Amino acid sequence: MIVLTILISTITLSAPLILAALGGYTSERSGIINIGLEGKMLMAACVTSLAAAAFNNAVMGALCGIGSATLLSLLHWLLTQKFSLDHIISGMAINAIAMGGTNFLDRAFTDTERTSGVPVLPSLTLKLGSGATFPISIYLILAFLLPGLLALYIRRSRAGLRLLAVGNDPDKSRLMGVRPLRVRLVAALATGLFTGLAGAMILSNVGRFTNEMTAGRGYIALAALILGGWRPLQAMLACITFGLFEAIQIQLQGTNVLGAKIPSEAWSALPYLVTVIALAGFIGKSRAPLGLGKP
Amino acid sequence: MTGISKRFGAVQALDSVDLHVKAGAIHALVGENGAGKTTLMKILYGALHPDSGQLSVKGSSTEFRSSAQAIAAGVGMVSQHYGIIPELSCLQNLMLGAEDGPIIRSEEARQRAEELARSMGFRFDWNADASLLSPAAAQKLEILKLLWRKAEIMILDEPTAMLSPADGDALFHSLRKLTEDGATVILVTHRLPEVFDHCSQVTVLRGGKRVAEKAVFETSKNELAELIVGKALESNEVRNPELGSTRLQITRLQVFNDRGAEALKSINLEVKSGEIVGIAGVDGSGQRELVQSLVGTRPISQGTITFDDLPISSESPAMRIAAGLRLIPEDRHEDGVIEEWSLEENAALGLQRLFPFSKKGKIDIRRRAEEAAKIAQRFSTKHGGLAQPMSSLSGGNQQRFVAARALDIEPKLIVAFQPARGLDLAATAEVYRGIRDACSAGACALVVSFDLDELLENCDRVVAMNRGEVFEPPPNKELDRDAIGRLMVGAQ
Repeated sequence: MIVLTILISTITLSAPLILAALGGYTSERSGIINIGLEGKMLMAACVTSLAAAAFNNAVMGALCGIGSATLLSLLHWLLTQKFSLDHIISGMAINAIAMGGTNFLDRAFTDTERTSGVPVLPSLTLKLGSGATFPISIYLILAFLLPGLLALYIRRSRAGLRLLAVGNDPDKSRLMGVRPLRVRLVAALATGLFTGLAGAMILSNVGRFTNEMTAGRGYIALAALILGGWRPLQAMLACITFGLFEAIQIQLQGTNVLGAKIPSEAWSALPYLVTVIALAGFIGKSRAPLGLGKP
Repeated sequence: MTGISKRFGAVQALDSVDLHVKAGAIHALVGENGAGKTTLMKILYGALHPDSGQLSVKGSSTEFRSSAQAIAAGVGMVSQHYGIIPELSCLQNLMLGAEDGPIIRSEEARQRAEELARSMGFRFDWNADASLLSPAAAQKLEILKLLWRKAEIMILDEPTAMLSPADGDALFHSLRKLTEDGATVILVTHRLPEVFDHCSQVTVLRGGKRVAEKAVFETSKNELAELIVGKALESNEVRNPELGSTRLQITRLQVFNDRGAEALKSINLEVKSGEIVGIAGVDGSGQRELVQSLVGTRPISQGTITFDDLPISSESPAMRIAAGLRLIPEDRHEDGVIEEWSLEENAALGLQRLFPFSKKGKIDIRRRAEEAAKIAQRFSTKHGGLAQPMSSLSGGNQQRFVAARALDIEPKLIVAFQPARGLDLAATAEVYRGIRDACSAGACALVVSFDLDELLENCDRVVAMNRGEVFEPPPNKELDRDAIGRLMVGAQ
């Protein structure tokens, strides 16, 4: 029973990480360093909630949420590619805008009278034996289908080849008649789509927006991308590992170790701790795109 | 191309230059560093826009706004620094920028690639990473890239700079085959023998102006050399001064490369005071590892290196520099300069602990400026001020600066890896004369080059490296081209 519960919550918890990691993948493979995944997710979650309430329509909510993440992603492209701003600084700016912006939007536009959650996309609930339920949303399906499809697309398509080329050496690509700015624009749009999906999923799991509800998942997704060596399927595996630790720590909340009571905050820190250790141990072995951060 | 002009800031790179290339010809474009050869070719390839002038391809007047347009019009270029992306496979590199459609059909692409390769007599493992290609194979892939794009006008910028003589001959063989099939080749080169052996027309640029356009059979090497530099070339005086005692001794040196393979197989070599020893060989024979272990950036597993009877093989690079070791590195961009730094700062790079740069543990800024001026002047580095960043210099001028720096402060052991890389005839002669002068004053030098003729002309003796071993030619054949050429490829 407990194993089943952990399994189900591993899948549910890792899905938004996977979507966000794919957003990081398209961006970083094209050569744009992207630490702003977190901000885009947060913005998408907030806008999804507000739009869903305003239109009283789940689909409109999700579309607006994805649109908001895409706008932030385009801003990052504009700042780094057109105005040659440092990629890290621009990413931090995106995160700051999202943090402050969502706080403001939430306070200004959330209907305080509303007691129920906002409309979200319907999900299919599987009833497993022993009373466990497993909600399968459209996001969940996308999260586990997209990495394989994306990997295949990158390997088999002209756009994929050009993405890899520009991410490795923009100058040589330009000489071959490829336009790095345009390739990176498309990559940024894809990043907006994926992080938007991730944010909308987090919102739809909870049903209403709360401040900083993404809780650093954007950074964990970025770490998973690095652990996976900037490859989508491997990044998905890393995301699932983080999801597993998250699920374990939820189960372990409140249990005592060797008679000592462990505060719940300590348990909550577990997945982040794993991230730090994993990154410290693996980062040197993973091969980054050579053109990362190059103009 | 008619009346092409281009200005970069204060420098008039091209001044109303005409270039007329006949279809089906191999047309040579020669000139000193900074004469404007590469700029002119970049304009033809759409990578730069001229300030004025007309461009006409196949009889119709055109204008290229980007390389993509030039490619579409049948113009292709192989640049000096190869345009191959090492992380992609050979097939991916071949296709990049000229794919068949939005979805890549690998099987069909591979078949077409294979047909192109066969028509040229090349073989490739299409799925292998391009990083595994040797320089010669990379060059071949570049040519296939042009064919893949159905280029009819092919620009090759110093294609043989990194090739062995045999690979160079094979390249020209391919080029001639291509021109027989209707292609037109423009060859940018420093090597006059190539012009006379393989080209039909030649255009000479000097200081951004066209000084001559001739049929090759109407001219001579001396005339061409004079046109290029604007004055008669004096050849370096005869070699072999009085040789002194042995200064550098390498004994049974064994070194492994990055992949853990044996790069130097127990080699022995000695260099006497006043001597310039050339190391010939195909790229990848162990020259790089030898230079690295001499400088101290690669650990050695067995054997010793002694300089003036002192074992230096366990000393740090800094100690070796203090002992008089000077390096002209292979890759000036990577290992020779810090491009963001000014010329003055670069002048002290590596020599910062030595007099006159260092004074009581601090850098003496004033003396550094003086030395920088001296270094820039020595091989007439063209620069826009010593406070300008190194990146503002063209490749050839950076090389002049790096070479002059190595000879500046009491060199005792000069290790030079392709010291004339990217330099024209006059500058090459000057750099070797500089090394010769240092050696006449008692230093010794070890020079690695892939250009055997350059070594034969400038060294006291030449040894060959092949697969990690050093082969010395028999007595009295220290400068025999055939004997050394045979040793280079392992035929004794």
